[in-house]
Amino acid sequence: MSNALETTRLSKRYGRTWALQDCTLSLPAGQVVALVGPNGAGKTTLLHLSVGLLEPTAGDVQVFGLSPRMQPKEALPRLGFVAQDTPLYKGFTVAELLTLGHKLNPSFDDGLSQARMQKLGIPLNRRAGKLSGGQQAQVALVLALAKRPDLLLLDEPLASLDPLARREFLRTLLDAVTETRLTVLLSSHIIGDLERVCDYLVILSASQVQLAGDMQEIAKTHKRLIGPRQDEAAVKSVHTVIEARHTDRQTTLLVRTNGPLFASSWEVQDVSLEDIVLAYLSQQTQDCLPAPPSARAQNGREVLK
Amino acid sequence: MIWLTWRQHRLEGLMTLGVLAVMGVFLLLSGRAMANSFQQLGLSHCLGQVPPNSPCPNLIMAFGTQYGVLQLFDILLIFLPLLLGALVGAPLVAREVEQHTHLLVWTQSITRSRWLTVKLVLVLGACLLASGALLAVLIWWYSPWVQLDGSFGTNAYDTSGPVWVAETLLALALGVLAGTLTRRVAPAIFLTIVLFLAIRVPVASFWRPNFEAPIILTTPIGQGNNNQSTLSSQDWVIAQGYIDAQGNKHDGYVGCTSNQTSVQCFQANGAQASFVSYQPADRFWTFQWIETGIYLGFSVLALCAVFWLVRHRLN
Repeated sequence: MSNALETTRLSKRYGRTWALQDCTLSLPAGQVVALVGPNGAGKTTLLHLSVGLLEPTAGDVQVFGLSPRMQPKEALPRLGFVAQDTPLYKGFTVAELLTLGHKLNPSFDDGLSQARMQKLGIPLNRRAGKLSGGQQAQVALVLALAKRPDLLLLDEPLASLDPLARREFLRTLLDAVTETRLTVLLSSHIIGDLERVCDYLVILSASQVQLAGDMQEIAKTHKRLIGPRQDEAAVKSVHTVIEARHTDRQTTLLVRTNGPLFASSWEVQDVSLEDIVLAYLSQQTQDCLPAPPSARAQNGREVLK
Repeated sequence: MIWLTWRQHRLEGLMTLGVLAVMGVFLLLSGRAMANSFQQLGLSHCLGQVPPNSPCPNLIMAFGTQYGVLQLFDILLIFLPLLLGALVGAPLVAREVEQHTHLLVWTQSITRSRWLTVKLVLVLGACLLASGALLAVLIWWYSPWVQLDGSFGTNAYDTSGPVWVAETLLALALGVLAGTLTRRVAPAIFLTIVLFLAIRVPVASFWRPNFEAPIILTTPIGQGNNNQSTLSSQDWVIAQGYIDAQGNKHDGYVGCTSNQTSVQCFQANGAQASFVSYQPADRFWTFQWIETGIYLGFSVLALCAVFWLVRHRLN
């Protein structure tokens, strides 16, 4: 099994709204994957489905070929999960939380958890509720790491942390990744901090996967084309235009190249990952906002006439 | 998991033990005083039929005035299972979901079914043990009253047998269910009270008197009132009244003026006979087990619903 996580047309509906729709994704093992999308895009839903906290409405999710809902006994020991805002039992001391990890996980690594706490300078007899937000996040991360999972899922781990705490948190994470062949999936609504840490990117927006791929590959295949004002149709016939902007005299395109660029009339620039992500997210909002499918089909027909 | 359950509920456990200890001391002291008075007054000779001129009614009255105030205590007792259901049962799942700690504990290596099973077995088990221990003390404490008034149809009924333990289980199971449904502690406590009363009150007030058809004694008007004398103090009188010419039963007696004899009064109202319907004392245990069964049934239903909800509806 070379894929850590595989979803097939995975969908989840709450009442009448789809939190995740037809999500098909396979994440190779051994990667650090960034799951990026705006708030409400379905990131938490995808993570909760992956660790078996949620039951899919339709479709299928497998971790290392195991269904987290149907085979929790086999799947759960292989998964580590840190939920959003890193919930801990606030009345427990750090030592008691580590005992919890030890008692509930057969493969719990006591040596690792003790060593990490010492290294982080978190006192074992302090109650979790009395720790700073950054320390709470660290404790939650160490609890998940000491479980010795094969796949670690982190839900917006950096959102509530200050820049210093972010750096510390990512350092703990990277230490663990370099020590073991751990697959990590972390979600975030911004790419910034993750760019240096991750090597695989999944963009999720409006409950659907917009892009999934190797980070370097993505950086290489996405280009910004700048040229005199013109129609993008010629470019579109070969490459995928993610974003087009026209001013009176100039046209700027962000494209995913599907082959070599023969761009005599275009100036070709590299694009930062952040801009790529933003382009995909704004593209989706444009696509999604206008009208329900039936109305769009009618519009299409009118255009054809 | 056992360790975690103990760690999470040890405070509740110690508080319950504390309450039990205080109640135990109170029950032992007052119970001993009652038992002594019962013996000194010689009330054991007053049980059953007594000759017309015996001092028994006065002695019983004296005992009643001295210790009657203690019977207020059992009004509090009726709320004890509910209290346990609201304070231990309702937060069991609700607090985890409210504080999002279920996301932590359900993603460890144990399945959430196992998590729920261990928690329920240990917490409910401990509560039932505590309620059983209290029951033993209460049976002893109530014995003077029970010998005088019986435990059938009185407040003592609830604290004289397995119904007490089943009631505790019911309150706890409904508490856990309420917490699983509302996912918040405060509404869960409120819902627990509503659910518990919605089952407990109708069962006790309307169903219990009719678990078996009551025995009805009728006496034609004018033949004296020997109904009461055939009843023992241990029987449970459900209703008494008169039967009119059409054979309809009327609860209670008609308002009679003081210049009428009771026979004249009855006849003026068209009464043909007086009746009393009652449950004989020997049905006491049958009734206890029927009611226990009803509460167990509801508890099992509630717990099955909890398991289903936790496995399929909570995240």
